[in-house]
Amino acid sequence: MAPSLTRREALGGAAAALLVASCGGGDPPPATGPKPGSGAALLGSLLALERASFAAYGACLEVLRGEARAQVHAIRAQERGHAAGLERLITDLGGEPPPGRSAEEYERTFPRLRTAADALRFTQDLEERQVRAYLEALTDLPDLALRNAAAGICSDEGNHLATARVLQGLPAAEGPFVTGAL
Amino acid sequence: MAERSDAELLEDLLAREQRLLSAYEAALRRDAIDASLGETLRDDEREHVQALERTLARAGRRNPRASVPSPELTAALRDRRSFARHAMELEDATRAMYAEAAPRMRDPELRRPLGSIMCCGAAHVVALKDSLGVFLVN
Repeated sequence: MAPSLTRREALGGAAAALLVASCGGGDPPPATGPKPGSGAALLGSLLALERASFAAYGACLEVLRGEARAQVHAIRAQERGHAAGLERLITDLGGEPPPGRSAEEYERTFPRLRTAADALRFTQDLEERQVRAYLEALTDLPDLALRNAAAGICSDEGNHLATARVLQGLPAAEGPFVTGAL
Repeated sequence: MAERSDAELLEDLLAREQRLLSAYEAALRRDAIDASLGETLRDDEREHVQALERTLARAGRRNPRASVPSPELTAALRDRRSFARHAMELEDATRAMYAEAAPRMRDPELRRPLGSIMCCGAAHVVALKDSLGVFLVN
């Protein structure tokens, strides 16, 4: 029998595809200015992911109602703030934030969200990927001020991830370590 | 002021985690938190404490001494809502300490796991907010 793909796996795969699309060749790295190893390229990747997530939550809002819609709307507003903050950090490093994509371009990479449950699973997958990306940035960014910024955003993403889980009736935290352990 | 060492920062975090662990243990004894939620949060804190203790032991440090229960905790144990609010404050202050300490770690291998615990703390705040019926997103 052929292995079946669960809806969760399909949505997770879509989130991964979105991640690849947001960070891939379509978004050029900052064109000028910052020194190699400044962290600007990594910030550019995080910015691309934030923008893609912002667009994805727009699609989620179309199928969500009531309390869940209000929570995801608030998450989306915070992602916009994160993106603006990352743009400033890249500019401060002497770089130029990557231009991003149109809503239609992002939309082509999204899965078809038919139900609120689909949207919340997609939200959870996106947030898990964002948490991982910021945790990696926390390790890799060369400058303390940049790492401080990454830690602050990562904490917000932890809040978003837990919110997505609670809205699905899951425990807020999957375990004592969101990813990685001492 | 001199920069604090990794071990000193970890000791501060351990003291905070021990305080949280004691708070959930007391709340469970006094029925000041839903048993299932309290046990989950307590068990997570116990894992954080053990992980920090192991890391400090590898660095040749002894564990900081446990503190006595605060008057605020004693007052908060009177009912579930007041304990949830108290625990949220403790969790959020601890999360803020991780957000400050993780980027400062000289050993880059410590930054990610500390960030991971920080995110667990953020999730605990969400769980406590949910128990109070308040908006989940910060």
